[in-house]
Amino acid sequence: MNRRDFLKRVAGASAIAVGACGLGLALHDHSPPPPVPEQKALAGLGDFSIKDIAAGKPRMAVVRGSDRAAMFEQGVNALGGLGAFIAKGDKVLLKVNAAFASPAALGATTSPELVAAVAGACFKAGAARVSVTDNPINNPESCFEITGITGAARSAGAQIIIPRAGLFSPATLPNGKLIKDWPVLAGAFTGITKVIALSPVKDHARAGASMLLKNMYGLLGGRRNVFHQDINGIISELSLLVRPTLSVLDGTVSMMTNGPTGGSLSDLKATGTLIVSTDPVAADALGVELLGRTLDDVPYISMAQALGAGTIDYKTLNPVYLSAGA
Amino acid sequence: MARAKIRATTGEKRAGYGVLAVLAAVAVWLFLSQAQFNPAVIVAMNHPKGAGRLLTGQQAGASSQTASYLADLQGYSALSGVESYTPETLSDKIDGKAELYLASGFQEMSCRSFSSGDSSQARVETFLYAMESPKDAFAVFSGQRRQGALPLALSPNAYATENAVFLTSGRFYIELVADKATPEIGPALEALAQSLLSVLPRDDSQPADADLFPATGLRKDSLRLAVTDALGMEGLENVYTAEYSLPGGEAAAFLAVRATAEEAAAQAKAYTAFLAANGFKQVKAPAGLAGVTVMALDNLAQVVMSRGRILAGVHDAASAEAALELAALLTKFLEGKQP
Repeated sequence: MNRRDFLKRVAGASAIAVGACGLGLALHDHSPPPPVPEQKALAGLGDFSIKDIAAGKPRMAVVRGSDRAAMFEQGVNALGGLGAFIAKGDKVLLKVNAAFASPAALGATTSPELVAAVAGACFKAGAARVSVTDNPINNPESCFEITGITGAARSAGAQIIIPRAGLFSPATLPNGKLIKDWPVLAGAFTGITKVIALSPVKDHARAGASMLLKNMYGLLGGRRNVFHQDINGIISELSLLVRPTLSVLDGTVSMMTNGPTGGSLSDLKATGTLIVSTDPVAADALGVELLGRTLDDVPYISMAQALGAGTIDYKTLNPVYLSAGA
Repeated sequence: MARAKIRATTGEKRAGYGVLAVLAAVAVWLFLSQAQFNPAVIVAMNHPKGAGRLLTGQQAGASSQTASYLADLQGYSALSGVESYTPETLSDKIDGKAELYLASGFQEMSCRSFSSGDSSQARVETFLYAMESPKDAFAVFSGQRRQGALPLALSPNAYATENAVFLTSGRFYIELVADKATPEIGPALEALAQSLLSVLPRDDSQPADADLFPATGLRKDSLRLAVTDALGMEGLENVYTAEYSLPGGEAAAFLAVRATAEEAAAQAKAYTAFLAANGFKQVKAPAGLAGVTVMALDNLAQVVMSRGRILAGVHDAASAEAALELAALLTKFLEGKQP
């Protein structure tokens, strides 16, 4: 190769290189999409419990009867009235069990009668807003509608929060073994100042019983059936995810067999008991008795106590026993 | 000329050991981090598609066999679309009860609401579960059996409660659940069940093992099949149980057919050991009961035996007398019976 050919080839190669660079520059996008902000995992959904209850005052009421509204009213009055828990301007969230598109008569979900009674009482106590939520995973609108919860909420002036993707945020429970980076229904808690849990008493094929603590399963998003492998572990951790202001366990009618879905009226039994409590662990500890079971049959209740979520010794809550008539 | 061996200096050795220590620490940290179970990661890597999708009639036929049977039930107005579920998504619909089905050869399920078609205009949620075999369908049917329900002639396994009908047809398990109990709802649900049965492949084969229970004193609606962890013993599979009402009192028998006589004998021995581990002690069997093991704890008595390929016994009784009476009945009935 002589000097002339060398210079020609260098000039050609340089032209190709400059052209390629020019084309690259022309196609270069100077405004890339903004980076996705990293979402910091929540440590929980909040502690809404009342701390300054005077020692010796009852923190649990056990009311016998069949009229849920009357039973709730009597029970909460025995604890000092709803005004002791709900202040003027409070924004209240009712965590119900709306897991199935099943009519209220089948007892698989929170009674609409109870939802209406509690929501109405909250407004009466001065609540500025009452919301009702759960994450049934499958067809939430149908679940809320068919259970009668939508109608009950609407009649009392409460709003239903239907779970949608944007309402879920990851949570990592401090020292939790299972709740790590897991989507939870955090959006429903935005601006909320008080939480009331409302759950039916049911048999549960996997967990032994489904009551207040198991009801918090409905705050999980994602493919949560993975937790069925350690059902007691996940329910006990859920007892720390959120601490309700008040818990209402509805054993007016209990699902004794074939839970959690039931399906037949013959699965139900009139157990005529409604428990209003500041401690969901204590309420569940009493609730298992309605199912004719012991704490050994439902390990997650004692596990929740061990984690510090409450006490299984419900007698320490100075329970008041009342009757709201037949 | 031999090259002089290069020796590392003390400083170099220390630096080398330092690097190795750092690498070892990184390896340990990685191992510990990876060993920590994080459900979120597990699920993110195995995300099933299409949970509980609402399907149109055409889609239903294409995507799921059970959905196609519910796509158009002649004479009944649908109140919802067809929803279909797989083993990965079943718990989205029925939560913890899914475990019962998943342990019993569940393949798929479709459900849809229909109007009952009678004057009560009840909403009837119709569930159609496809299981692997008629035996699996019977397992989920019997595992949820409501005592004292009204038997129906719809199929060999069918009964009604105040607001629902439950039945099997071959490998299918069916639930028809109405949202109210009215005088008219029973016949209306039976008619709806007949309509569904007419489009399902006909198969009334019954698990033959259940015929090995003696009929005297048997409560027919108590027959159950436990596919896994039967009688509370982990690993004990496919065991039938049945309750009896006898002159000596209430008692319950169990029975299972195994592949070989050796397997049946080994499982009888294992179940006896399981009882012993739970506080039962072997006691002398009465003279008339040869070749059985009687285990007692306080006033509880259990009887275990194997007869050829059959593992059998009494697992629950109101008294020792009732247990031995049922054991004698079972022993006599199984004489010469080999499936």
